[in-house]
Amino acid sequence: MKISNNPDTGHTSSYTRRYTLRNAQGMEVVVSEQGATLISWLGPDRYGHLADVLLGYADDTAYRQNPAYFGAVVGRWANRIAGGRFSLDGVEYRLDQNDGPNQLHGGANGFHQAHWHTTTVTAQEVRLNYLSVAGEGGFPGNLQVQVCYRLEDDGSLYIEYEARTDAATPINLTSHAYFNLNGGHTDVGDHLLSIDADNYLRVDEHLIPQGITSVSGTAFDFRLPAPIGARLVWPDPQLALAHGFDHCYCLQKPTATDSPQLRDVASVYDPGSGRALSVATTATGLQFYSGNWLEGIQGRSHDPSAELPPTTYSAHAGFCLEAQSWPNQINATDGSAEAVVLRPGAVYRQTTVYRLTVRE
Amino acid sequence: MKMPTAHRIALLFNANKIYDREIISGIAAYLRSTRVQWDLFLEEDFRCRLPGIERWQGDGIIADFDDPAVCEALSRSTVPVVAVGGSYENEADYPPHIPYVATDNFKLVKLAYDHLIESGLQRFACFSLPEAAVNRWAQERENAYAGLMRRDKLQVEIFRGQTTSAPSWNEAVEQQINWLHHLPKPIGIIAVSDARARLLLQACMIAGIAVPEQVALIGIDNDPLARMLTRVPLSSVMQGAEEMGRTAAHLLHQMLGGMRLSGTRILVPPAGINVLESSRHESLSDPYVMQARHFIRQYACQGIKTGQVIDYVGISRSALESHFRQELEHSIHDEILHVKLHAAKTMLERESRTIADIAISCGFTSIQYMHAVFKRELSCTPGEYRERTLLGRMQH
Repeated sequence: MKISNNPDTGHTSSYTRRYTLRNAQGMEVVVSEQGATLISWLGPDRYGHLADVLLGYADDTAYRQNPAYFGAVVGRWANRIAGGRFSLDGVEYRLDQNDGPNQLHGGANGFHQAHWHTTTVTAQEVRLNYLSVAGEGGFPGNLQVQVCYRLEDDGSLYIEYEARTDAATPINLTSHAYFNLNGGHTDVGDHLLSIDADNYLRVDEHLIPQGITSVSGTAFDFRLPAPIGARLVWPDPQLALAHGFDHCYCLQKPTATDSPQLRDVASVYDPGSGRALSVATTATGLQFYSGNWLEGIQGRSHDPSAELPPTTYSAHAGFCLEAQSWPNQINATDGSAEAVVLRPGAVYRQTTVYRLTVRE
Repeated sequence: MKMPTAHRIALLFNANKIYDREIISGIAAYLRSTRVQWDLFLEEDFRCRLPGIERWQGDGIIADFDDPAVCEALSRSTVPVVAVGGSYENEADYPPHIPYVATDNFKLVKLAYDHLIESGLQRFACFSLPEAAVNRWAQERENAYAGLMRRDKLQVEIFRGQTTSAPSWNEAVEQQINWLHHLPKPIGIIAVSDARARLLLQACMIAGIAVPEQVALIGIDNDPLARMLTRVPLSSVMQGAEEMGRTAAHLLHQMLGGMRLSGTRILVPPAGINVLESSRHESLSDPYVMQARHFIRQYACQGIKTGQVIDYVGISRSALESHFRQELEHSIHDEILHVKLHAAKTMLERESRTIADIAISCGFTSIQYMHAVFKRELSCTPGEYRERTLLGRMQH
């Protein structure tokens, strides 16, 4: 376990530590206490060359604000809450609005900017904790959150979330890691994506879900592998609204009592490098974001060995597959809102596994 | 209950080819996923349909626009048409106004090229097809290859050969072998299709050119038939043909619903790469070892010694030896010996020269030395080795 100090990224006056997890294959995952962020993930291609499959900033101090949410754990509510408001047990709550009228990813000072405290650290596992105090972002209840990253020898990166509260609160946590399996040589347009979902949530101009829609006959149908870039240019009003994909796939219908089971939900394959990423999760939704707003961000050089200059990202330089509850589910009128409420005495749990492999 | 009338759609494809079949299967997959009802018209030989196609009483057409006869026949079509074909570098080569779904010829070639580079090759050639209106895609792939060579400041080596018509078969193979012999080795060759790759692989076998050691070969199409017909399994780039079919069906579906898609163009990238023996050139990550091996491969049979290899690479003896140990787990001397031994074995198998002659040709200082090396490495004498391989050949 390598622990390095990064004095300039501290949220408070103290420094921020970074931890490196390693597995038997020679993979390396770097996690930062700043936002419990996945900084980098080195994995081999079919020729054995290691490259970083995650997007990240050229300048470490950019993680303090992290406007693109690179690699961060986002919360207390990942994704959007319409109008920045919700009602719970007869009380209406007003949230910080940071996305037009909506709240996005917990507000301007969400979990991604927090300083997390490390508890357990081993060669392949790190646990980070954060206390989100009542009123933060407008949410009720003091929320104690733990995120555990564990890198297994088969290339699986387990992300396990756990949370407890002292007052009822909505909760929805996810990892906002941006992947580019070719190591950043080009954008992710030629990556082949599969998502095991028959439906997605169509959105309005504020990207708030408007209803369940079948993927059949649309650019959103990834039940068979399809290249992201070629799908981006299909004529489709939903793609035009979001400037690409920024939509939640319905993995399963949320009910008041979800019984989470870990299952494979998506995979991505890059023909050039042979790298493949599979996603398994206990969550009911999977937000597919095709990196529509990355243009111009100063990204880190992707070659871990070379002293290459930083790159300027283009749109679609990376993609996110964010396992989570359905966007704005706390305002659902079909009874599923209760499924995303954490009450005192109960434990919130979510597990997502990203597995990086090589396909010949 | 009155059933909705199904649209009558013609598919003008050559369903004998794997690429066309995959496109059709993509169209079928789209129809299954949407429960759209189309009556499909698919002719065994669609070319006989072309004259008068503009008077056909159907609702829409998806057609293979690689064939200029199809472009011509459909230019006056009054029903919605979606074109499927190869991508063009030059904008003017696309049919005007018609929505077009293309296989990205540049990306197909680039994927093959990047693979050969990663396999450790430093020289590249392209086996194409004679220029013809029906295979403009081959010229596009050739141009993509040439563009990549110019970008990387590498020698352009393109051979078009002859089309594969029976009467000229011998001559065609001879020309291919001549070309192969004249190419510097080792070399990576990109064939514009699996059919072309198969021919070249056959020529390599006839000429005794080692694949992938001397010639690493990769085709395009991932055609199971081409794989089956070759002794060395053929590597190949897979086209995104099924996705092209799904996309073309979607566009036509939208047009039947009234959407105007004039000028829409969607380029579909490759779906993958099937890496098999024909391109599994041993890749070395150590540049010093690669350089040394490159030198040894060329000069081992002229009797070079370790010192000359060290001079060529330009680092110290102990450094280069340790690079060799790390990368190959043997010494520079062993490497030279292996190359000489390999050359001697090849000559014994294929040539009738005397063993003494072969010993000298392969850089052994004496026939006795070659004898000793054979005994140690192969547990037989050079004479016994020759007898064994001759016997083996007769039994086959």
